[in-house]
Amino acid sequence: MADTQPTEMMEEDEPFFSNLDLFLFSLIAGLLIYWLIFRKKAEPIPEFKKLETAAPTTRDTSFIDKMKKTGKNIVVFYGSQTGTAEEFSNRLAKDAHRYGMKGMAADPEEYDLSELSRMGEIDNSLAIFCLATYGEGDPTDNAQDFYDWLQEADADFSGLKYTVFALGNKTYEHYNAMGKYVDKRLEELGAQRIFDLGMGDDDGNLEEDFVSWREQFWPAVCEHFGVEATGEESSIRQYELKVHTDLNMNKVYTGELGRLKSFENQKPPFDSKNPFLAPVTVNRKLNKGGERHLMHLELDITGSKIRYESGDHVAVYPINDTAMVNKIGELLAVDLDTVISLNNLDEESNKKHPFPCPTTYRTALTHYLDITNSPRTNVLYELAQYASDPKDQENMRKMASSSAEGKAQYQSWVLDSCRNIVAILEDLPSLRPPIDHLCELLPRLQARYYSISSSSKVHPNSIHICAVVVEYQTKTGRVNKGVATNWLKNKMPTDNGHKATVPMYIRKSQFRLPFKSTNPIIMIGPGTGIAPFIGFIQERGWLKEQGKEVGETVLYFGCRHKNEDFLYQEELAQFEKTGVLTTLNVAFSRDQAEKVYVQHHLKNNKEAVWKLVHTDNAHIYICGDARNMARDVQTAFYEIAEELGGMSRPQAVDYIKKLMTKGRYSQDVWS
Amino acid sequence: MSAVRTEDAANGTSTANGGGGVKCEEGGVTVLRPTDLSEMLAAGTKEVHQKAENTEFVKDFLRGRIRKELFKLGHVALYFTYSALEEEIERNKDHPQFAPLYFPHELHRRDALAQDLQFFYGSDWQTQISISPATQRYVQRIHQIGKDEPALLVAHAYTRYMGDLSGGQVLRKVAQRALKLPASGDGLNFYMFDNVSNAKAFKQLYRSRMNELELQQDTKLKIVEEAVLAFQFNIEIFEEIGEVGQTLEDDVFDAAPVHGEMQGDISQCPYHAAKMAASGGSSYVCQIAKTVLKNPSGQVLLAAWIAALAGLAAWYLM
Repeated sequence: MADTQPTEMMEEDEPFFSNLDLFLFSLIAGLLIYWLIFRKKAEPIPEFKKLETAAPTTRDTSFIDKMKKTGKNIVVFYGSQTGTAEEFSNRLAKDAHRYGMKGMAADPEEYDLSELSRMGEIDNSLAIFCLATYGEGDPTDNAQDFYDWLQEADADFSGLKYTVFALGNKTYEHYNAMGKYVDKRLEELGAQRIFDLGMGDDDGNLEEDFVSWREQFWPAVCEHFGVEATGEESSIRQYELKVHTDLNMNKVYTGELGRLKSFENQKPPFDSKNPFLAPVTVNRKLNKGGERHLMHLELDITGSKIRYESGDHVAVYPINDTAMVNKIGELLAVDLDTVISLNNLDEESNKKHPFPCPTTYRTALTHYLDITNSPRTNVLYELAQYASDPKDQENMRKMASSSAEGKAQYQSWVLDSCRNIVAILEDLPSLRPPIDHLCELLPRLQARYYSISSSSKVHPNSIHICAVVVEYQTKTGRVNKGVATNWLKNKMPTDNGHKATVPMYIRKSQFRLPFKSTNPIIMIGPGTGIAPFIGFIQERGWLKEQGKEVGETVLYFGCRHKNEDFLYQEELAQFEKTGVLTTLNVAFSRDQAEKVYVQHHLKNNKEAVWKLVHTDNAHIYICGDARNMARDVQTAFYEIAEELGGMSRPQAVDYIKKLMTKGRYSQDVWS
Repeated sequence: MSAVRTEDAANGTSTANGGGGVKCEEGGVTVLRPTDLSEMLAAGTKEVHQKAENTEFVKDFLRGRIRKELFKLGHVALYFTYSALEEEIERNKDHPQFAPLYFPHELHRRDALAQDLQFFYGSDWQTQISISPATQRYVQRIHQIGKDEPALLVAHAYTRYMGDLSGGQVLRKVAQRALKLPASGDGLNFYMFDNVSNAKAFKQLYRSRMNELELQQDTKLKIVEEAVLAFQFNIEIFEEIGEVGQTLEDDVFDAAPVHGEMQGDISQCPYHAAKMAASGGSSYVCQIAKTVLKNPSGQVLLAAWIAALAGLAAWYLM
């Protein structure tokens, strides 16, 4: 009985367990099957797309084949990090169509650039390289492979015609290193450069550099390949002229740079778009003799809330000479008081007008356009079509070309002869362009910057300027006048009962006195380069009056003749007397047979100079001409470091460079 | 632990550069003021500076791979950081150990960042932003030293301002193009130092002012250590933003518009490139799998096979 019962119990339990287990497992299996099918169905679709797209891309690394297939003869490779070089490349590729050619922009990362050696297979072919320099003279990421390959390349590029436009920034040490390298290297490999390397400077105006280069580049290409621009000889205008006959004069610009009526209703803050109209309170001649006119001006900034520091710059918006403006109207037989607008034909452009519009031709030529500098070649090229004399037209086109003869002609006829647009119109009687196109082409009149020659501690409401009037005779017998200095020269404090005013604003500078007044300073500023140092010395004088301890204050000044152009002589003598100026060295370059300059005085005082610089932590300041004086002074410092510091020349160069890096050797120089 | 080790290494490097490097370079020449703070900082932060430049966030940024959400988060972090820094700078502007470096018109960034945040988030932007944990730690540190040891503010000012003054010129263009921001500069005011006409000259002036601070040698060493710490805080913020980027990654890159923006060129898609690189070893197997699944009958076969396997397992268990 006992045996029978256990058997029955086992039989009863087993079916229940098996059924449950089977059910559960089937459920799991079903879910698994469903999940896998669902997952697989969803997932493959995007991956298939990727796979299919990737394959064709891999195969198509031949830009030569692509050019042949699409009938392109110009390829523009870009080395771009921020997109600017890519943008420029696209613009160049589009440009090609205007000249009967076809261009394409290309990323060097996507193509096999060893194929450049096959460029000769395409008629009238040209490769353009738009290359930015990145970091420390490096190529951009997308140009890295090309750069690496180019260094090792042993290719024959004799069939390649090329040109390079480089994008960079002058404030970096390796300015446009990438563009320069490619330009040189391609030539080494046998390629033919058909136009000069273009150098874009982002610290200045990169866009302007590019446009200027481009506008000379295409004529050179056309000349090289012997082709004419397609169809119309005339260029494509960027702006459309609209003449206003019944416009309310309250809506017409009278010289304002930003807000209309900003000259009548002045509101701070004042800046480049909103200059302050500062009354001139002092305008006196500084030199006692000689043919030049050196002047000292004072601008009143009371009530403007403008603040400045010694060493800052004052920016002045000059006005063109009325006689020159009238001359243009006369030559072109135009009523200058016509009210016009020039409207950008590209409606999407951010730049609606080349200068504030609506305005009159007179206002544009007086306030907005540069009519005193020699025109660039692109202006000549655009204006050539309007010369009715074929010889004049030919000469103008030649001067705008990249041929050696054309360049030489432009250099001698325009630059060396200092011809401005008025002179050109006078000397080419057959050239009479529409005045609106002329206004479109002429560059904007820029503000002029002057180092402030006062201290805000001593003169909080007055800004002083020291300047020499620019005036010279040209080879053509004309007298050319600097637009700003001649205009300032005529700004007398009382002008027929009205206050003479100057549109101005402050541009902050990094040319500053040391924070600690006990630090010695060495200032080197010949001629008008003395300007910021008058402010520096005034400030140290003010500090001394406040009871502060003031370190050695040393000035090296240079001029031509003691009895003529020893600027601020009385002021300097007074500062010497009170002990603010501890040492004054003056070099009179033409008072004796042998010329003596500031760098000679530095060398003569080398022991004192070296002690100040090397032992006493002196700060050195140089202001003036960059091309000659600043370089000669720097050489003098190298020599002093070699002699008294026991250094080799490379060590001396490195020593001065370190001083610069640490802000103890500052320059405010111009060329 | 890692941070501490970094600091030690940096100090070691600083000593080596300060001593041996300069000595070798100058030969028998007297060393040019080896205790100048600007040189100590440049040497002492060189290693951690490179580390900061190599975070994923920064590298992606420089390559133009910027997601707008991350860019905005970066601006928010900068807003809180600069608000704290400039608050402490204003409180200590007359402190003798900071005063020479007080350049509010040239350097202050808070207002520019506020303009950018208003552009990105609207007029009620202040209610929409919040401070992240890494930024909170950085802000707390700035306030702490501003109160307890103002001389160390130099380290934070040096780290942030000089970096943004240099790098800002490049970053602004990258961001403008990648994010399609307007040419008018909206959203990018932070990078515009309008009152610095020459960045290089300004940095030289700033170094000259740093070297005019009257500091004991041990204080200078502390400043170098603090600068390394400042870089570390910035790295942590970059990494934090990078982690946020990870959660956004799938959503963003699987969406069609991303591929569309590449004009169908998959090789330009950074996600695709990364994926191919990562799964290179198993590409063959994937290829086979894809081929099979491409065919509808293949899917049926797979289902059948799984069903058979399930049956086998059930039988085994029974």
